[in-house]
Amino acid sequence: MKKLVALLLTLLLVPVMIPAMAEGPTLRIAVDTNASADGLRAVIEKAREDIGVNVEVEIRPGGDEGDNLVKAWIAAGEVPDLLYYNSGSKLLEMDPANNFVDLTAYPHIVDRLADSFKGAVTVGDAVYGVPLTSSQAGAILYNKVIYEELGLEVPANWQEFLDNCKACADAGYYGLIGTFGTSWSSQVLFLGDYYNVVTGYPTFAADFEAGTAKYAITPSAVRSFEKYTEVIPYYNPDYVVATYEDGVEYLAEAKGAHWIILTQALQNIDSLYGRETVDEIGVFCVPADDGNNGLTVWVANGIYVNKNGAHVDEAIKFIEYYISDAALDVYANTLLANGPFCIKGYQMGDNAYAAVAKDMQAYFDAGTTYVAQEFECAIKGANCESICIEVGTGAISAEEAAAIYDDDCYKMAVQLGFNWD
Amino acid sequence: MARQTASIQKAEASIYSYWFLVPAFFIFVIFFVIPTAISLYFSMTVWSFDSSTFCGFDNYKMFFSEYALTIGIKNTFIYAFLTSGSKVVLAFLIAVFLTGKIRTRNVLRSIVFFPNLVSTVAVGIAFKAILHPTKGYINQFINLFGLSSVDWLGNRSLALFSVAAVDIWKGLSIATVIYVAGIASIDHSYYEASSIDGASRWQTLRYVTIPLTAASRNTVIILSLIGGLRSFELIWTMTAGGPGFASDVMPSIIYKQYTQGFFGLSTAGNVILLVMISIVIFPLQKLLSKSEEAMR
Repeated sequence: MKKLVALLLTLLLVPVMIPAMAEGPTLRIAVDTNASADGLRAVIEKAREDIGVNVEVEIRPGGDEGDNLVKAWIAAGEVPDLLYYNSGSKLLEMDPANNFVDLTAYPHIVDRLADSFKGAVTVGDAVYGVPLTSSQAGAILYNKVIYEELGLEVPANWQEFLDNCKACADAGYYGLIGTFGTSWSSQVLFLGDYYNVVTGYPTFAADFEAGTAKYAITPSAVRSFEKYTEVIPYYNPDYVVATYEDGVEYLAEAKGAHWIILTQALQNIDSLYGRETVDEIGVFCVPADDGNNGLTVWVANGIYVNKNGAHVDEAIKFIEYYISDAALDVYANTLLANGPFCIKGYQMGDNAYAAVAKDMQAYFDAGTTYVAQEFECAIKGANCESICIEVGTGAISAEEAAAIYDDDCYKMAVQLGFNWD
Repeated sequence: MARQTASIQKAEASIYSYWFLVPAFFIFVIFFVIPTAISLYFSMTVWSFDSSTFCGFDNYKMFFSEYALTIGIKNTFIYAFLTSGSKVVLAFLIAVFLTGKIRTRNVLRSIVFFPNLVSTVAVGIAFKAILHPTKGYINQFINLFGLSSVDWLGNRSLALFSVAAVDIWKGLSIATVIYVAGIASIDHSYYEASSIDGASRWQTLRYVTIPLTAASRNTVIILSLIGGLRSFELIWTMTAGGPGFASDVMPSIIYKQYTQGFFGLSTAGNVILLVMISIVIFPLQKLLSKSEEAMR
């Protein structure tokens, strides 16, 4: 019996040892479960043929749990050669100067990055990452079939949006889909309204970082929270516990008319319901009260190179390839874009989703886009989701929410060493 | 002379016995005293991976000004006392039943213990699905009787109690086992004596079983109260403190601060939690052991 167990254990070791014996270095790249890795995998496959670099994908948890894991890796010095992580404010938490390679030493990489993305991975004078995916927007996805049936038009301002929600609710659809069960999704209305915050207060981010602007005393910022209280009557009955997956189902199966979410949901709808269904989905921005509308854009998250890794040169070679036209074509053919890529001079193929090619592109063409707050400002309240759920369930008022959010940001300011006193 | 030798021997004897304590003492110091002292220091700093700045009591001030804290402290106590109280009563009743003259009691005892074998996280995830407002079994069952669905975890005033109910279900097992052991160890002569005196079953329960299980009851109270005060896994997996902050408890607030990267702040929170639990438990333990002695 003992012998048998020993034999079995030895056999178990064999598969563990085989990769270790393969030739040449194999880079590890860690991506989280929220990122669709299919595009990345396709590029990796191509990179093996084209530039002879082997990369192995490792899936790590997303959300807070993933943040902790990455922090633990950093503390223990076990960061993979390539790491996928948020760009914008959260990058700062990872102490990039000590952990990631500054790409300014590689001008041919940095020069290809679009300014919006470059801004989101720049800390001080250093630039740290390349975009993993296309950019996307925090916007309102709507079901065009329902709109057609009820004879509705894309709303020109916030009041018209509320009217549309009401019309859909009266017709027996969910006027607005809420998926607070997947808590991050609750904050998309707040974050996606940032274009309107900035229209009301153009230097908000800089003043907020300096500690002089506050949400509670900025009317256009309080307005973001007020919008939560105004849409409450139109939500699906289970909006507090419904999850992101439920939201995909409600929208794709035309149970609900609107969903305020990141446009990455288009990919999910595509993979679950097919191309025909996803092209029945349209996009418009979170409307402004005065109809001066614009789209709030999430630039892509980044791939960062571990400064202390054993294979820095190969890793640089890989990310250089990753943002080449050839690689982007492979990527875009595997996984249709949720928005434009953040690479200068790259033209997307003509097979893009209708919502992206028509609806979103219109905002980009008109120049009415603005990056989301987290890409412009280092400080984001860590309890943002919970505060949005509180105000979205009517537990607190918009003014209270703004004040609580300010307090929440204060904690982040202290942790990051801003002097707000 | 003789007296001197005796006192030296006595001193040697007492020192000699201390040597037995040394290994345990080292383990205690290395794994408990030193970390506690270090965490006291770090609770007064803003720290990240490799640097820390001393900031005095700022973290404590910030922790006490946390918006969710009032809700959290209230919830912590509601949760702890509700689950602990229910376990003390329900587990006793089940234990009395299981020590009675029923044929299948061994099987039943194992069944009662089953929930304890399942990981708390698994229980939390399973019940989150069972309590789902539209797809959950419980609401589908309620609907059979024509009653309308209840939003167990999404209703702000209900969420904490739904989690507490699951906690009670899961925690009953261990409390029952402690009670069963306590009841089984009661000397049979007490029951014989009471039956000779013509005591009714209720009187036997009231004047023999209840007083003589005081020790087990106190163990159950202390264990379940401490467990309730620092309960985290179930709340985290079922509601994550939500909706919003509605079912936040102290440990979930501290955990959130930690995951959000406020390491110093969350360390301060842990120190406060330690003090809070101590303030509740030490006087309670004293009180309970006093009453236990009084009964003997």
